Amino acid sequence: MAQVSSLRIEDVDLANLDVFVQGRQHEIWRRLRAEEPIHWNPGNDRFIPFWSVTKYADLIAVSRDTTTYSSQQGISMAANPADPTTTVGAGKMMIITDPPRHVRLRRLVNKGFTPRATALLEPSVREITRKIIDDVAPRGSCDFVTDVAALLPLAVICEMMGIPQEDWPMMFELTNQGLGSEDPEYQTVPGSGPETAARSRREMFAYFARQAEERRRERRDDLVSVLVESDVDGESLSEEELLFFCQLLILAGNETTRNAISGGLLALFEHPEQRARLQHNPALLTTAVEEILRWTSPVAHMMRYVTRDTVLGGQPLRAGERVLLWYPSANRDEDVFPNANQFDVGRTPNEHIAFGIGEHFCLGASFARLELRVMFEMLLARLPDIAPAGPVDRLRSGFIGGIKHMPVQFTPQPASV
Amino acid sequence: MRVIVDRDRCEGNARCVLAAPEVFELRSDDQSYVLIEHPGEDLRPKVEEAARFCPRQAISLIEE
Ligand code: HEM
Ligand code: SF4
Repeated sequence: MAQVSSLRIEDVDLANLDVFVQGRQHEIWRRLRAEEPIHWNPGNDRFIPFWSVTKYADLIAVSRDTTTYSSQQGISMAANPADPTTTVGAGKMMIITDPPRHVRLRRLVNKGFTPRATALLEPSVREITRKIIDDVAPRGSCDFVTDVAALLPLAVICEMMGIPQEDWPMMFELTNQGLGSEDPEYQTVPGSGPETAARSRREMFAYFARQAEERRRERRDDLVSVLVESDVDGESLSEEELLFFCQLLILAGNETTRNAISGGLLALFEHPEQRARLQHNPALLTTAVEEILRWTSPVAHMMRYVTRDTVLGGQPLRAGERVLLWYPSANRDEDVFPNANQFDVGRTPNEHIAFGIGEHFCLGASFARLELRVMFEMLLARLPDIAPAGPVDRLRSGFIGGIKHMPVQFTPQPASV
Repeated sequence: MRVIVDRDRCEGNARCVLAAPEVFELRSDDQSYVLIEHPGEDLRPKVEEAARFCPRQAISLIEE
């Protein structure tokens, strides 16, 4: 059962991002689930204090009650209601907007993301994936994150939005700076996460303003055109709302899926018997993808702001406090998942909540599932002996469970014909 | 018990169909349709599962 650890509850500090770079977060969450499932975490010079919510049932209760728990004061630990620069986009960007406006914004685009709409993309996802693997196959080694995992979600969302291919590398940089802003490797303003994120946003906005202008002159068959023509209750989106929408689609789809792909491969490396099972029986691909999502849970948390005094899991919370929903912790909740700390590519049932639930349930969940299924199917078929070739380099972030670099090697293969 | 699917929220994830195929059907407009508006008690566990796992919270059960 629960492992004995030397960690003291008093020393738990999830506002110290070293925890995530060192990969100690799961040990901490396991301890909290067992002893203090709703845990008060003091602040520091970067983050104001928050409650950590670590159990599956509590995460669901919070996600479902958008009246008591608002998304409109920011959604990450970096947000601080007292500092408006950290909550830009509130009420304008869908993910930082509460009902009733939220559902109206969501309905502008959600038809393009249903399972049925997603299925139509499969041929194009296969083609993109084939090209990505073709590029590395003859080389015998690569950085799996930058050469493989990052490229697929980037290509898929950029194609949907109609972003020309020559601009994809720039989008890659800007998303890294937007979501990885606490990591020195991506900081364009050294030492400052918020400034780096702000700069990335300004550049993205300038870029999408030009893209939108082009669509106004000449409509195309892409998501930016849909947004330009949008109609919410008889009003079109303001220019600012439109730009926030574009930024959200790019950010939400990239970093997340990338890390499910890299983290998924890492999990297969670390569990050779599960990998062998999957390689011998590709019919397990569907359950394997769900298990990879549960295991990696690339979105580490979403934040909610408590709007009125309430009680959660027996713990009184006061209006004005913040709760952090730790998805990877909920997804290893021993009360929900038998052998929760085992990676099992055949796990059924598997009602993980890596995509959240309720009002803000991940719009791109079907996309992400498709990308993961195609990627792992083709990867294991084309590079069956892919293996680690050095240590992984983790992202300094409490928001995205990220891997920046992951050297791998394999027997070189010819590109497909 | 009466079952309702909220048209504004349903996004065709079909989790409901998986849980209670007798009660829900996904149609070509990517919306779930209720086949039995007043399901009997025997279907209650399945319908409750559908409501619980619908990722968009689109299903409501109204006791009559
Ligand atoms: C493995 C990959 C992914 C994971 C783990 C993930 C996770 C999440 C989570 C946890 C939320 C819920 C936020 C909340 O409740 O506050 C969310 C929302 C969202 N996701 Fe994803 N996501 C992934 C991929 C994608 C992709 C590929 C796209 C787009 C193409 C996308 C677009 C969005 C959008 C637009 C929202 C906001 C929805 C709203 O506010 O209604 N995501 N995602
Ligand atoms: S599970 Fe919910 S969102 Fe999905 S089809 Fe059924 S009602 Fe619609």
